[in-house]
Amino acid sequence: MQPLSIRKLNVWYGKQQALKDITVDIPYHQITAIIGPSGCGKSTLLKSFNRLLDLNEQVRINGQILFDGENIYAPGVDVTDIRTRIGLLAQKPFPLPMSIYDNVAYGPRIHGLANGNLSQIVTAQLQAVGLWDEVKERLKDPATGLSGGQQQRLCLARTLAVQPEVLLCDESTASLDPISARGIEELLRGFKDKYTLVLVTHDIDQARRLADYVIFMWLGELVEHGPARRFFEQPQQELTQAYLAREIG
Amino acid sequence: MKRKKLRRAEDLFFTWVMRACLMTAAVVLGLILFVIFWRGIGALSWEMVSQPPSGGFYLSQGGGGVFHAIVGSLYLAAGATLLASLIAVPVVLYIHVYSPNGRLANNLRLALDIMWGIPSIVYGAFGFALMIYLGMRASLLAGIITLALVVLPILARTFDEVVSMAPRHLHETTFSLGSTRLEFLGVLLRQTVPGLLTAVLLAFGRGIGDAASVLFTAGFTNNMPEGLLRPVASLPLAVFFQLGTPFPEVQARAYASALILTVIILTISILAQLSISRLGRHVIR
Repeated sequence: MQPLSIRKLNVWYGKQQALKDITVDIPYHQITAIIGPSGCGKSTLLKSFNRLLDLNEQVRINGQILFDGENIYAPGVDVTDIRTRIGLLAQKPFPLPMSIYDNVAYGPRIHGLANGNLSQIVTAQLQAVGLWDEVKERLKDPATGLSGGQQQRLCLARTLAVQPEVLLCDESTASLDPISARGIEELLRGFKDKYTLVLVTHDIDQARRLADYVIFMWLGELVEHGPARRFFEQPQQELTQAYLAREIG
Repeated sequence: MKRKKLRRAEDLFFTWVMRACLMTAAVVLGLILFVIFWRGIGALSWEMVSQPPSGGFYLSQGGGGVFHAIVGSLYLAAGATLLASLIAVPVVLYIHVYSPNGRLANNLRLALDIMWGIPSIVYGAFGFALMIYLGMRASLLAGIITLALVVLPILARTFDEVVSMAPRHLHETTFSLGSTRLEFLGVLLRQTVPGLLTAVLLAFGRGIGDAASVLFTAGFTNNMPEGLLRPVASLPLAVFFQLGTPFPEVQARAYASALILTVIILTISILAQLSISRLGRHVIR
């Protein structure tokens, strides 16, 4: 079962082509890592999964992404529904301009998921990301008062509170200190049985630690993809071998 | 070594240039406040701020005060600011959320900038022409509408700049949680509400001090405001008419009126500052 199937996806920013003919399947309830050097199109690929690319007016997309068998780029698709079911954890922690509590409650409120037990949802999500004990005394305080690592865990709780099926992570540990980054990594590893995870990283070691499946991008093209073990132990393409040996990048 | 000295001298020179500019601005403001205070404080009395004029107010022997103009000015400025906000806020949010970087947004900004530059007497004349066309007479309502046109570009462009400063990630984050554009507007408003308040304050300050636009449209009266369709007095015009008399006592009252106007603006600024720091608690910087 593949929750996300990408079929001949091409993306342009203005006249520049950012993704060329990408075709790949994202495996269900596993961690897929998209790796490659800066500017290779990995973030573009990730953001095409929940149609966040649409926010950029210059962008032009063709091809298909099938989510549960339906093309999310088909006319008439409810974009908010796609973004609800496919959540994103961004590169930098970015709390919304509201309290810690309201940040987590935001999604359930707009989607009407609370059914009168909003505070239970908020508590559960903050516990799920290991933040509850640190913030339970100051839920009404501004979210900006938290440290970077705490903010990123808050953002994760906020994303999960919407009850997504797929979780996209765009270099979500890159701006954090090593200890906070490891904390997030551990959380993501534990989420495998509940969510399909796709993460973009330029850190090969992180991909080795976390990934079950790897997609390697180079200059907008998909060079190689496969199960992590085979990918790291027996890379087929010369480009992949050179990249993994850190000869290029 | 020589270069090091030169850079230090450069730095020192420009520090003092900037200090001189700052001093000039401060001294000018200080002088204005000093003159108003010095010449007006003698005429300022409880009667001045609590009563409308009684007979012969402009001929030096009359009693009473400018309470009618204080209330009239507050009505005019508050009404105009409210009306302008009701137009400016949706316009600004629209060009940012529904049509960003579009030609519409740029044309609108250009139009607002031109409106900003139009002298308020021209708005007064326009409002007057409109009133005649509609068969209205000088009234609070006509004054509010005209004054709203004067403050609209100030409010809209200031708020526009504030919204432009909102972090780009706010957009992405809110939409990635499955928000609709309307829900995003709500979040954007939370982020920008302190800036919106500043814009409203600027507009109010400009509106309460404007004389030319209300001269023909709101008229002037010695009575308290009686309703939307009746003429009202305003402080800037009270200052104008009192200064225009040959009597020193009445001129002193003009300065006292100007002092009252200044204190009103100061009070509102302080109140706004206090509420900005409260409302800005959650803002992402």
